[in-house]
Amino acid sequence: MQRVFGSINIKSWKFLLTAAVLIVWIYCYVANGDVTNSVVASGMRFGMPLALASMVGIMCERSGIVNIGIEGTMLLSGFTGFYVASYTKNIIIGLIIAILTGMLTSFVHALMTIQWQMDQIIAGTIINILASGLTSFLYKEGSTVPNTWPIFDIPILSRIPFIGHAFFSQQGPIQYFGLILIPAIWVLIYKTRWGLRTRSVGENPGSADTAGISVIKVRMINVVLGGAIGGLVGGFICLELVGSFSKEFTAGAGFTALALMIFGRWNPMGAFAAAILFGLAQALSTQLQIFGVNNIPNQFITLLPYVFTILVLVFSAGKVRPPAAEGKVYKKEEA
Amino acid sequence: MKLKITRDALVPFASVLVALAIGAILIAAQGHSPVQTYHVLIVRGFESTAGLQATLSKAGILIMSGLAITVGLRAGLFNIGAQGQVLSGALAATYIGYRIHGLPMYIHIPVALAFGALCGALVGGFAGLLKATRGVHEVISTIMLNSIMAAIVDYLTQNQFRLKSQPNTRTPDMLHSARLPHIFGYPTGFVLAVLLAIFVSWVFKKTTTGFELETVGRNRSAAWYAGISVKKSIVLGMLLSGAIAGLTGGLFSSETTGYFVPTFYGGIGFDGITIALLGRANPIAIIPGAILIGGMRSAQSAIQFEAGVSPDLINLLLALVLFFATAPFLAKLIRSNSKSITTTSGWGS
Amino acid sequence: MKKSLVAGATAVALAVLGFAAPASMAATNDDSKCGTAGVTCIGVVTDIGHVTDKSFNQAAWEGAQAGAKAVGGIANYIESNAATDTEYGNNIDLFAAKHYNVIVTVGFLEANATVAAAAKYPDIKFIGVDQFLDTTKTTPNLAGLNWHEDQAGFIVGYLAGYLTKTGKTGAVVGMNIPPVYRYAAGFQNGVAYAAKELKKKYPVTKIIYHPAADNAFSDPAFGASNSAQLLSQGYDVIFAAGGGTGNGGLARIAKAKGKFCIGVDVDQWNTVPEAQACLVTSAEKLIGAGVTDLVKSYKAGTFAGGNVYGKVGFAPYHALSSKVPAAVQAKVAAVAKKILAGSLSTGVK
Repeated sequence: MQRVFGSINIKSWKFLLTAAVLIVWIYCYVANGDVTNSVVASGMRFGMPLALASMVGIMCERSGIVNIGIEGTMLLSGFTGFYVASYTKNIIIGLIIAILTGMLTSFVHALMTIQWQMDQIIAGTIINILASGLTSFLYKEGSTVPNTWPIFDIPILSRIPFIGHAFFSQQGPIQYFGLILIPAIWVLIYKTRWGLRTRSVGENPGSADTAGISVIKVRMINVVLGGAIGGLVGGFICLELVGSFSKEFTAGAGFTALALMIFGRWNPMGAFAAAILFGLAQALSTQLQIFGVNNIPNQFITLLPYVFTILVLVFSAGKVRPPAAEGKVYKKEEA
Repeated sequence: MKLKITRDALVPFASVLVALAIGAILIAAQGHSPVQTYHVLIVRGFESTAGLQATLSKAGILIMSGLAITVGLRAGLFNIGAQGQVLSGALAATYIGYRIHGLPMYIHIPVALAFGALCGALVGGFAGLLKATRGVHEVISTIMLNSIMAAIVDYLTQNQFRLKSQPNTRTPDMLHSARLPHIFGYPTGFVLAVLLAIFVSWVFKKTTTGFELETVGRNRSAAWYAGISVKKSIVLGMLLSGAIAGLTGGLFSSETTGYFVPTFYGGIGFDGITIALLGRANPIAIIPGAILIGGMRSAQSAIQFEAGVSPDLINLLLALVLFFATAPFLAKLIRSNSKSITTTSGWGS
Repeated sequence: MKKSLVAGATAVALAVLGFAAPASMAATNDDSKCGTAGVTCIGVVTDIGHVTDKSFNQAAWEGAQAGAKAVGGIANYIESNAATDTEYGNNIDLFAAKHYNVIVTVGFLEANATVAAAAKYPDIKFIGVDQFLDTTKTTPNLAGLNWHEDQAGFIVGYLAGYLTKTGKTGAVVGMNIPPVYRYAAGFQNGVAYAAKELKKKYPVTKIIYHPAADNAFSDPAFGASNSAQLLSQGYDVIFAAGGGTGNGGLARIAKAKGKFCIGVDVDQWNTVPEAQACLVTSAEKLIGAGVTDLVKSYKAGTFAGGNVYGKVGFAPYHALSSKVPAAVQAKVAAVAKKILAGSLSTGVK
């Protein structure tokens, strides 16, 4: 358990940061509840796509496969999801197709990295370039979807004071689903047999193999499951946040998600917190513009989240320790 | 962190052919003529004088950005955010190019380019420093720095460095003395890039610094046992990679545009990754790949205008080339002994 | 066996993709007779992006086609693939080599290349869309087509001032570039003008710019999230202006009950149907009509170089007409008339 949450000094750092965020939050809430709720909710909205995208990375890397093709996975699945939804006039079918596309894309990644034992970074780069080339080659403007997912309040939960309005109000279904999915992934990784196998494959495939675990199977399944989440994010952006597909709409979000994954130390809840912090910094920079802070140039306000991420990484320092077998090709010893 | 370089040139060559064949199917499926399309591609990219000049100009930039990534890869660093370094180098070189008057060309150009390289090195080196001292992985820091540099560069171009007489955001024109000359219409930047590639190759083959960088890239703990300062090498690797990226931006300003608009530089850093991987992180081997891609890029518009095919075909072809060049089945088919290459193995510091 | 299966499947998948691919835009119009007397050929060089982008490039292309139809000529286009002067210049050269008579370049990024090309080809007329010219440095065969975006912004801002119940209005826009600034600042002043008429004190209209980045105009998540942040703080009329970024905002505002959103450039009732629940109007600039008029003036022999201003306006209310009181509609119409006639200043420099 201790290892999961990191060493003592990381823990104290986390504790301090959490405490600081809580204090600022409570202070702001008391000072101006509406604006605070609005900023926190906005942070959630900015952060959720990134948080989910970083889950793709966690699923893959916990089993030992580096996936920098998150960007391409989201792009491709947003593309197919949108056009299928547009063609069938049904956003549910669109979302299903998006998820399937994500799984297929990740399957190709798994094929390249696990079956053909290619370099994982190169494989991911190929996915990204292929996705960008394919979607722009096949791109056709002028399609629309009949509607996008509606926004609604979750009954009862949205009335909880302090957090209700910020977390459970005026969001779409996939946004809410993320609140369930991320803890579920945490449970999957840390509390289930499957998670134990996944982690052992990611840390020490040799002994996992000896213990009778099929390294290749575990990795394949994790990568494809990760792809399903990537497809969900593509559908999330194209069918919930906005009803359109635009070329290169991911614009680096997949890489930011990787940063957040490392920031969160390959822990789903950690990455979630990191994504929300990142989203909060974005919401804050918007809020400064709303407050009419004019003596700081707009460009410097908007780079807040990025500076903030670097600063946190610098001060959190310590050893960032990825799964030990990550990125390495596993060759089964033939008898 | 192993870096094995294939000597088998047949695989990349075959992968280009296969990619073109698949491209032909796609073109035919869209109701166009593959023969005509590829004819236009060859004529406009390589055969016509204007096409060849454009191709070499683009190839020069691609070689440089590919080198920036290559240097990093050799030292075990993945400088995925070279774009921010390209931007800062470009703006710095442009600034020197229009601000300082009265220098002769043979001083002005080197000073402008050197300043560009310096600024790129500062950004890259900062990421290296973060990694060496605080263990912040360069993939994260350089991506964050990309956004930060984009904002800073945008601020400067909109304010201090802005050409006030124009309503649009751009810098003044670089002076003639800071513009790289063309020789009979052929770009000198290409020659510079090739020389730089030879130099980088020499550094890794013959110098102690190159050896140390590569050893750290291969196996950090072995390097440590051998008495090489790993931290120093990491900072140096990022400094060099950033410097070349900055130089790429400066070269681009000086040779092609002559002034700075942030959007001009979109994708240069990203292209470098493709080039470096195609050339398997070998400074010399990236040159043919860069020429090929440069040719495809310079024929892109003509393909649409003269053959009616979507110009995005080129990006698709590039992805296919990269796929077949790195996936093993083509190599197995050719029975080449080339081993797949390895760049970097994850995020560990 | 397994591998050949995979390869086979890949090939089949690619072939299917090819057949599913949209047949690329109609093959180019026959331009073999260009250059002979009495034949008018019009070429459009787009900025990065397609002629089907529902925005600038498409509008200019449609304007060119309409112009060609009106004068009995033909029109063709080339889509640019890189935002550099070289790329734009090469594309212009492709048209010039085939003796086109009028070349339209779209977007301010092409300004420099257009100025240079106009000097290089004095016999060809150039239309620079969204390019403000320094007429002391340009040749008479070049017309820069601009718009007073602040006027369109002012009109819809005035409407917003009458529609808001909370007095809070905002604008979520793309990058801070001159046309975007003029829209947003005009909107701000329009709201203030309405507030003065109503003798109410409204807080200043909030303008939220997208940070400088390649995706400044294609970041729907940014538009959606920031619009939501404004909505939850009581802002009830929001001007979402800026390509995909703005469209994300429109789509998000449509999901909130009883709020108004305002689109930009074209009548977005048609282009973003999911925003119909909130889209009360759009600030329009008539890009196509501007191009068509200039093409006609070429045929009539009255083509004049220098800066030309096209028409701006606002889109019909469509189904939301019922939400805008007749008295307000009349007021808006009156103010629009004054603004467009120039008798009322927008106060935007």
